[in-house]
Amino acid sequence: MSLINLQNIYKIYHVGGEEVRALDGVEISIRENEYLAIMGPSGSGKSTLMNMIGCLDTPTSGIYEFENEMVHIMDDKQLASIRNRKIGFVFQTFNLLPKATAQHNVEIPLIYANIPKVERLEMAEKALVSVGLGDRMLHKPNELSGGQRQRVAIARALVNNPSIILADEPTGNLDSKSGEEIMGIFDSLYNEGHTIIMVTHENDIASHAQRTVKLFDGRIIEDSKRNLR
Amino acid sequence: MISVFFENFNMALSSVLSNKTRSLLTALGIIIGVFSVTLMGTLISGLDRSFEGSMSMLGRDILYISRFEWFGDLEWWEVRNRPRMKTDYVDKIKNKSRYALAVASVMQRGAELSLKENNIRTEIFGTNIDYMETISAEIVEGRFFSNSDDRKGRRVTVIGYGIKDAFFKGKNPIGENIKIDGEKFRVVGVLEKQGKFLGLFSVDNQAIIPQGAYMRLFSKRGWTRLSVKVPEQKLEEAKDEIYSIMRQIRGLKPSEKDDFAINQTKAFEKQYSSIKIAIAGTGFFITMLSLVVGGIGIMNIMFVSVKERTREIGVRKAIGATKNMILSQFLMEAITICLGAGIIGLFFAYIASLIINNFFPSTMPLGLSILAVLMSIVVGVISGIIPSYKAANLDPIDSLRYE
Repeated sequence: MSLINLQNIYKIYHVGGEEVRALDGVEISIRENEYLAIMGPSGSGKSTLMNMIGCLDTPTSGIYEFENEMVHIMDDKQLASIRNRKIGFVFQTFNLLPKATAQHNVEIPLIYANIPKVERLEMAEKALVSVGLGDRMLHKPNELSGGQRQRVAIARALVNNPSIILADEPTGNLDSKSGEEIMGIFDSLYNEGHTIIMVTHENDIASHAQRTVKLFDGRIIEDSKRNLR
Repeated sequence: MISVFFENFNMALSSVLSNKTRSLLTALGIIIGVFSVTLMGTLISGLDRSFEGSMSMLGRDILYISRFEWFGDLEWWEVRNRPRMKTDYVDKIKNKSRYALAVASVMQRGAELSLKENNIRTEIFGTNIDYMETISAEIVEGRFFSNSDDRKGRRVTVIGYGIKDAFFKGKNPIGENIKIDGEKFRVVGVLEKQGKFLGLFSVDNQAIIPQGAYMRLFSKRGWTRLSVKVPEQKLEEAKDEIYSIMRQIRGLKPSEKDDFAINQTKAFEKQYSSIKIAIAGTGFFITMLSLVVGGIGIMNIMFVSVKERTREIGVRKAIGATKNMILSQFLMEAITICLGAGIIGLFFAYIASLIINNFFPSTMPLGLSILAVLMSIVVGVISGIIPSYKAANLDPIDSLRYE
């Protein structure tokens, strides 16, 4: 039973009268508790695919099913709701709110999910503890190291207990040691049963994943699996 | 939705506070707008109160007959050439009128009042016993002079409260003698304290003497007017009647123009309301202008704020904020600036009203203060809506990529 099912997805832009096929008939299905790396050179459509899976973008044509919900026909409000409930985002540049504490940053998805304050604080705390930042909850992003910031971002992605975690070059802005730490967190999340989809161009990073999808010119040119466990 | 509301409010507050100077400069227009409208209201309320007080000194049920019309547009020489009012009109009006309740002829001149080394330059009035019925003030000590005082030309006087204060300093003035332009007069009564007329001159420094003595000692002719008290509910009929009686007394043919005028407090009211409209109009204009300018300033700064936080908007959208949530976040920020500005404006207006209160009694009207705050919220909404709408409709992917 697949969690995500993309059928014949096209994303076509018109730039200066010229047609650009960012996604050119992509078919992919992702099951629960997969650890997937999307790879490809720049311009291959991997970011577009990730935005599509993350419900930030809608296809020009094709069918996108997410837990049996038809995403490709959803309006903005429904998309916002599905992002809020089912998807946790981790960005290359962390994208934390600079003026908010770590705890408040993690709380924000819960605010949008309309969860009461007391519960919210508890959940945020739990998420921060789970990424090893229980003692940094009241620090602001500028008081944290890069690796710590990314861990706050992971806590934020986890806090709503999403169906998938989407990470876009999560180690791209980190030194190799912090990068390893972050990858360690992803690995253990996978082992706990989370579904992780990661965009990267580094083979080292992709090697953590159990399945690798390679894109080129908007098409999937390779889809390989290996057993990690 | 409540948690989103609080989140938005907190975010707005922290955004406004982290840019204090910018926020304050932006808010200046609204501060001035709220300040000016509230101050204008305070001024008008003070003027109203002072005007009401002054009008009650005059009395709405009194017709003032004299050669000139209040706020009239006659040339001075035309007025001068009219015949004077005469004291015998009093009896003529009393005999002919069905409405006149009291008729006082009042002569007036400047004079110097003195007691020992104290002296005051003021106005004295020579009148008859009906006078007390044509003014609103009461006698607080002693009595008014009697008919026989008047007929016999006795040198008695009723003094204003200010004279009592200045000459007798708390002692009983009744029976004491003072000098009016060097002539000795015995004080028989004191008028209650009345304050200033239209905030211009005090009516408490006057002395009233019987017309008999006035004409014998000071002037037979002088400047004379008549005050006729009539029933307040029959004001118009009474005015018509007195008008025709006056024309009869003056022996005017139907073709001849009036050579007298019957004045009422209405003339003041008319004049006053035009002053009030001018003040309100000016205040309104300044307020609107500063609110519009302030609103544009806020709109501008909101556009900047949206631009600065494009990435944040992208992140918020990615983690589940809907358009409405983003819209309300920025709208809340604009409203917070305006509301803060409104409160600052009110605060300064309140300080100013305390200062004004030292010059003439006034209070900041509560209704207007509330209106001013509501108005600043409206400005916030109007000037914030376009930038907020823009923020709400940003594409999340582009915003996340925004550097």
